[in-house]
Amino acid sequence: MDFEMDYFERLESETHKLYEIANEARSKGFDVELETEIPLAKDLAERVEGLVGPKGIAKRIKELEKDMSREEVAFEIAAEIASQESNETGTKLEAQRQAFADQGLRTALAILTEGVVAAPLEGISGVKIKSNADGTKYVAVYFAGPIRSAGGTAAALSVLLGDKIRVATGLDRFKPTDDEIERYVEEVELYESEVTNLQYSPTPEEVRFAARSIPVEVSGEPTDQIEVSHRDLPRVETNNIRGGALLAMVEGVIQKSKKILKIAHTLELDSWEFLAEYAKGIGSSKEEENSSESDFEESSQEIDDNIIDKEELFEHSKYAHDIIGGRPVLGYPSEKGGFRLRYGRSRNTGLATMGVHPATMELLEFLAVGTQLKIERPGKGNCVVPVDSIEGPTVKLKSGEVRRLDSIADAREVKNKVAEILFLGDMLVAFGEFLRNNQLMLGACWCEEWWIEAIRNSDKYKSFDLEEKEEFNLNSLETKKLTVEEAFKITEEFNVPLHPEYTYYYKDISIKDLVNLSEWLNTKRDYLENGYNNREDLELDLSYQKRILEVIGLCHRLVDGKVIIDKDHAYSLLKTIGEDYSKYLADDYYNMSVVDIINENIDFEIKDKAPCYIGTRVGRPEKSKERLMRPAPHVLFPIGNNGGNRRLISEAAKKKKIKVEFARRECINEECRLSSFQSICPHCGSPTVIGKAGQKDINLAHIFSKASNNIGVRKVDEVKGVIGLISEDKLPEPLEKGILRAKNGVFTFKEGTIRHDSTDLPLTHFIPSEIGVTVPKLLKMGYDKDCYGQDIVSEDQIIELKVQDIVVSDNCGEYLVGVANFVDDLLERYYGMERFYNVKDKYDLIGHLIAGLAPHTSAGVLGRIVGFTKALGCYAHPYFHSAKRRNCDSDEDSVLLLLDALINFSKSYLPSTRGGSMDAPLVLSTRIDPEEIDDESHNLDIFERFPLEFFERSQESLKPSDMLDLVDNVEMHLGTDRQYHDLMFSHHTSSIHAGPKVCLYKRLGSMKEKVEAQIHLAELIRAVDQRRVVEGVLSSHFLPDIMGNSRAFSKQKVRCPKCGTKYRRMPLTGKCKCGGDLILSVSKGSVVKYLEISQNLVNRYPVSHYLEQRLEIQEFGINSLFESDKSKQSSLDVFFGK
Amino acid sequence: MFAEILIKFARKGIILSPEAYNIIKNSENPINLSSDIILKLKSGNYPKDIVPVDLKTLETIEGISLNIKSANKIMKQAPQDKQKTIEKKQTPQEKTEIKKPKTIEKKQTPQEDIKVKNPAYAIEHVVKIEDTAVSEDAISKYKRNLTESKVNFDKFKVLKDTSNKSYTSGEIGNLIEYFQNRYKKLSGILSKRPELRTWQKINEITDNQTDLNLIVMITEIRTTKNGHYLIEVEDETGSIPILVSKDNDELIRATKNLMKDEVIGIIAQKRQGNELAICQNIIDPGVPRMPRKEVDFATVFTSDIHIGSVTFLEEAFVKFTRWLNGDFGNEQQREMANNVKYMIVGGDIVDGIGVYPNQDKELAIKDITAQYDEAARLLGDIRSDIKIIITPGNHDASRVAEPQPAVPEKYAKSLYQLNNAEFLSNPSIVSLDGLEVLIYHGRGIDDMVMGSNDFSHERNDLVMKEFLNKRHLAPLYGERTPLASELEDHLVIDRVPDVLHTGHVHINTYKNYKGIHCINSGTFQTQTEFQKIYNIVPTPAEVPIIDVGGNYKQLKFID
Repeated sequence: MDFEMDYFERLESETHKLYEIANEARSKGFDVELETEIPLAKDLAERVEGLVGPKGIAKRIKELEKDMSREEVAFEIAAEIASQESNETGTKLEAQRQAFADQGLRTALAILTEGVVAAPLEGISGVKIKSNADGTKYVAVYFAGPIRSAGGTAAALSVLLGDKIRVATGLDRFKPTDDEIERYVEEVELYESEVTNLQYSPTPEEVRFAARSIPVEVSGEPTDQIEVSHRDLPRVETNNIRGGALLAMVEGVIQKSKKILKIAHTLELDSWEFLAEYAKGIGSSKEEENSSESDFEESSQEIDDNIIDKEELFEHSKYAHDIIGGRPVLGYPSEKGGFRLRYGRSRNTGLATMGVHPATMELLEFLAVGTQLKIERPGKGNCVVPVDSIEGPTVKLKSGEVRRLDSIADAREVKNKVAEILFLGDMLVAFGEFLRNNQLMLGACWCEEWWIEAIRNSDKYKSFDLEEKEEFNLNSLETKKLTVEEAFKITEEFNVPLHPEYTYYYKDISIKDLVNLSEWLNTKRDYLENGYNNREDLELDLSYQKRILEVIGLCHRLVDGKVIIDKDHAYSLLKTIGEDYSKYLADDYYNMSVVDIINENIDFEIKDKAPCYIGTRVGRPEKSKERLMRPAPHVLFPIGNNGGNRRLISEAAKKKKIKVEFARRECINEECRLSSFQSICPHCGSPTVIGKAGQKDINLAHIFSKASNNIGVRKVDEVKGVIGLISEDKLPEPLEKGILRAKNGVFTFKEGTIRHDSTDLPLTHFIPSEIGVTVPKLLKMGYDKDCYGQDIVSEDQIIELKVQDIVVSDNCGEYLVGVANFVDDLLERYYGMERFYNVKDKYDLIGHLIAGLAPHTSAGVLGRIVGFTKALGCYAHPYFHSAKRRNCDSDEDSVLLLLDALINFSKSYLPSTRGGSMDAPLVLSTRIDPEEIDDESHNLDIFERFPLEFFERSQESLKPSDMLDLVDNVEMHLGTDRQYHDLMFSHHTSSIHAGPKVCLYKRLGSMKEKVEAQIHLAELIRAVDQRRVVEGVLSSHFLPDIMGNSRAFSKQKVRCPKCGTKYRRMPLTGKCKCGGDLILSVSKGSVVKYLEISQNLVNRYPVSHYLEQRLEIQEFGINSLFESDKSKQSSLDVFFGK
Repeated sequence: MFAEILIKFARKGIILSPEAYNIIKNSENPINLSSDIILKLKSGNYPKDIVPVDLKTLETIEGISLNIKSANKIMKQAPQDKQKTIEKKQTPQEKTEIKKPKTIEKKQTPQEDIKVKNPAYAIEHVVKIEDTAVSEDAISKYKRNLTESKVNFDKFKVLKDTSNKSYTSGEIGNLIEYFQNRYKKLSGILSKRPELRTWQKINEITDNQTDLNLIVMITEIRTTKNGHYLIEVEDETGSIPILVSKDNDELIRATKNLMKDEVIGIIAQKRQGNELAICQNIIDPGVPRMPRKEVDFATVFTSDIHIGSVTFLEEAFVKFTRWLNGDFGNEQQREMANNVKYMIVGGDIVDGIGVYPNQDKELAIKDITAQYDEAARLLGDIRSDIKIIITPGNHDASRVAEPQPAVPEKYAKSLYQLNNAEFLSNPSIVSLDGLEVLIYHGRGIDDMVMGSNDFSHERNDLVMKEFLNKRHLAPLYGERTPLASELEDHLVIDRVPDVLHTGHVHINTYKNYKGIHCINSGTFQTQTEFQKIYNIVPTPAEVPIIDVGGNYKQLKFID
């Protein structure tokens, strides 16, 4: 424990150092406030106080936390705040009661969402106390769109909190009118048809029932421009759709009814019994409940029954439906040759990230480190990282040779010679992924680690004494390459199934294939006596049975019409495959698995090498890039349209005076009253207050040159500003900051900070040499032992990552060097202080602090740079990502250099619009407590090896929770010392960034090339049906795009490029109000962009006639829109000589 | 010729058995039958490579009529059908107009809403066609291909057809011209109204002027915090806000029916120096009362047949065509059929392909050409002396943006081969021997229903009335109805018709508004999945007819 305390205290003391520097800079009065605006929060209670307040609540939360659960605390706090005493009377009292209710709900919701998510600020637009028709008062909770970020349960709990407040303050229940109830019904339908689908589509009866029964009013601000027909209801303020309210009611209360009812019981809220009805079914409600689980059970049953209806399986596999141009399908659902499921976790997987062999990544080119895959199961998506201790792909070359690729070098060598990808290789999936998604277990594949456990549990091994065991060295056997004779010897001696290397994918062939294969082999039955003993390879005459070898994944060559199998595999094959299976062709055996048939005829055992395959398709590409607004400004300083398209300050400064809207600060000193941008009056030194925003004339040239002189930087032409300020106060940033940002090549984001975004990737262990950190630096940072408890002396040891240390991408590192230099310049030239970072290259950043921030949250998480990765992603401890409430299935979060954020962030720059405070560092949480972060990370597997029983029981389609006794995960160590260390992994990987760094999707320029590559891959991969891919791209991407855009073209708005004004419909004047010419907002280009490529596909591939005609009709429509019949006629006239 | 047929089959990889060959050879029109067979085989669920065809196969190919013996197969089923009449006495003079002010009809509660779905007045016109089959020998002799039509169609005229007259090239300038043309056409109509004789342009308004007299296009309609309406209007010289006070009930009622982008006249008062003008009167372009036209023939109006959909009511449609041929119904009804000279199909004759996601799951025929082939087969059974006018709808193979050009021959070749069919655009205007019919599929109805509380799909007759008052078929831009930026706005009703015929919503309605027959011709499709979700109850297989003398009736071909 001391060790960790040391670590956290070290981080905290360094953080405090940065706060001191930032506060000193701020104290000069050049900024909006005199202190840094990011409060520190050590734990959940402090975060809540920092995020939503009220002041002092952290103490009360901590008191309650001692003997209450998190939920109980939240509800207690809500009641306490809402029912506190007030000195006011009359209308003031009412206003205050309402304010208390509002505060209570927000604070409680913040507690429920770990004080990280923006929902308590942005997802609740207010709480009101309103009147029923009978004069009684009730509570109304107003939701806004960002309630989405809280998740369904928390959204529903917000409604429950409203009820708690209602009870605590002695108010009556909400009594809706029939119109109000029907309004909800209509709104839900309208939302689904006009806006987007809800996760759960309730029946009208279900909505009606909820609307009638929920004891508080679930209302909200309008989120979409669509109007309902139940208009002008006196108690509903808007006629537009209330998206937030619908999310809270449908995806919250209705969808999570079971869970909410349980919580209502424990909290003793008695108006929620009605929720029990949802489980029974309301009205004619169809049982479409939470599809994933039941869908899954169905499809897994099909597999077990060995009767796989491919079409049905396809229907159930969402991932395979929406095929997008340029994002290849890598395997159809459970199709043979797709990814083989392998259980385990490597040091860079878990939390929805899964391992793939780097040779597979190299071969496919569409998989880079961090590329997202949509997957058949478990879950919906993941992120791919390289793990080289699992099996690579098996390919058939144009020469007829079948090879397994074990390294990137192998893959590079054969890449251009591949005729077919027979197997994609393994996908390493942690047990925790099944647990998290609550999906039934799938059978483990027959692999080395299982074989090892089989030996370990054999009677013979158990009878070994210590010395014998050491001599036998079981663990080294796992990676050792065995000869076939050694393999058979172990099988015989230890009575274990045959080694996986010499076991092939027999289950994938039919009984008929088996008969045929055996007949073919019968031509060389004498090989074992003759050829093998002479160390010769097996030669077979080329015959159609070669395909069977390909399908079982047995490597061979093809030379001069002979199929050549190397002697070890030939031996194994001939030993395994008997001479006559013809009796199994009888009907009685049709349902028997080939593996069982083979086993019936041999005196040893073989195992099923691949009980299941996982279908996948490529999703979002990996990313690591600086955050840029469009266009990207260096400074939040308004220059209107005077800077041209590029918003150049220097351009705008050429005009004598420009008129822009902004606010200044005014000196409070009656005698001075000077206007400035500073929080301390530059003239008299008195404090200043924000003035009113308005249109003002400024002499930009003067301000600009004054700023340049002020910091002693000459002539920076490329400083970019913004058109206007979108914040409430409309206070501009000092121009000096912009000049220095431009000088260092960095850009600002909406609230004054500089961001770099990367795909989230998990990491629990690192090797110093791979991330570019040296031993002395590591020691300095407090690392002293490797993961096996040895002292750190070399850069090749495996070291467990501390929970707040992160490995950023190379380009993030380089960008942060610019940020560090900017901060140093700012300190030195603007604030007149010492430089702090003094970095020359990115390696100097190691050990420096950053803040990690997820877009849907408002709390930064403190982190420390420990090294760099070549991957386009940010490797960090799973806890770190979970602290941001993220998993790693291709989410991307930003990294801020801490001192930059502390000095330059200001709340007053935040947009005044809804959602404006999301993605802003409103508090900084300094310490990760695994109990206070998203519980997804609690499912992380942390053990080195699975017991034999795990592999065996995995074949039984059990619930993952029934297997918890066989595994070890974070949850089992929460609250103990071990929650921070000794989190091991089961599969090693030699590099966390092997394989491609940029997926092919990003490297190819045009959609045409991307689609070509996608279809080429479909042709190569055995588990993919090329025709289906072509049809999929057409029917789910290109055709809807073409149709949507031609429809949009004929309904489009017009826009003024000069001033940016949009018009719903072309004005009759034909001009913009500003006098400028208007342009189309949907161009011909966007309508026809996929037309040619679609025609191309239709011409080259045998797609269904249906699709072909659909495309033709679209083409007719498009031509009719863009080609005048006059020109067609005149060209015909010319043709006919008229 | 027979070698030709064999080669034709061989090229398509079809092998004929001798029996099959004989059947084809002995049919009335071997070449046509061969084409039919080939088409069915190639588009249907038959193997893609080599197809052996014997007698059995021929019999199982759906939709092929082996003319030799099965031509009146359908007739044979008929006599078993129940016979029942619910014919009502005709009220010669329509109850002209149901003059219930809309405001009273306004939905108060959802329950009332449902009642409106089956407007009681409509029942009066409905005539159930008797399931009386005609004896074999009485079956009409004038089927297509049997007798050349001797009917004189000299007085049939196409007054407006925009097919092959799309002059837009999709540029910004076209969009400007399009709306300016709408304004020009409608201001031309409005400027003839006496109230607007002194109308002026917005930029001519002087500071001290108090009375405004404007012809404007509506830009935006908003309600203010105090419950007033604020209408922003424009002409080609500028824009101005107009306030409609909530205290003026009559004006508020009128305002609620206003659509963005329609052109109206406004009389308003402005206080000196105040930018805001207060509305005094809103003037629609409106229509004059049309004189009743007596005609000596009957016209049937259909639309939304949706051939190719699994929900197409083929049986009812065949009853309808048989009735037209005089093979069905009681004597009086067959007499009525005998008078039919024109049949209009106002869009969605087929279900189309790819109109909405996963449509293929609801299609019986998944090939657009085959859908039109099937349409040709069904319409081809109608006696050739009825002229059939076919316009496209949103399900047809045309462009989505209105005006839609006629369905191209490329897809509807077989339909084009019917010598009595005419293909026109949507919208289009025809003169049926002097009776002018404006045919419009009806997407604009969606906009109106969405845009105002006072309209519903069920009462689309009220929407048609509003089309006439506004003199535009789809005034609202940018919502449901895609509009092509043609140089002329063809959706303006610049010529007042005798009949306004719409479809699209699948609900029959009828209204006589100022002497104009407003007809929605319903559908031949049962409730679709989409309609189920939106609780739209269609009125299938009811065919409107304007009878000799100009009376409206509605014929029902389903129980």
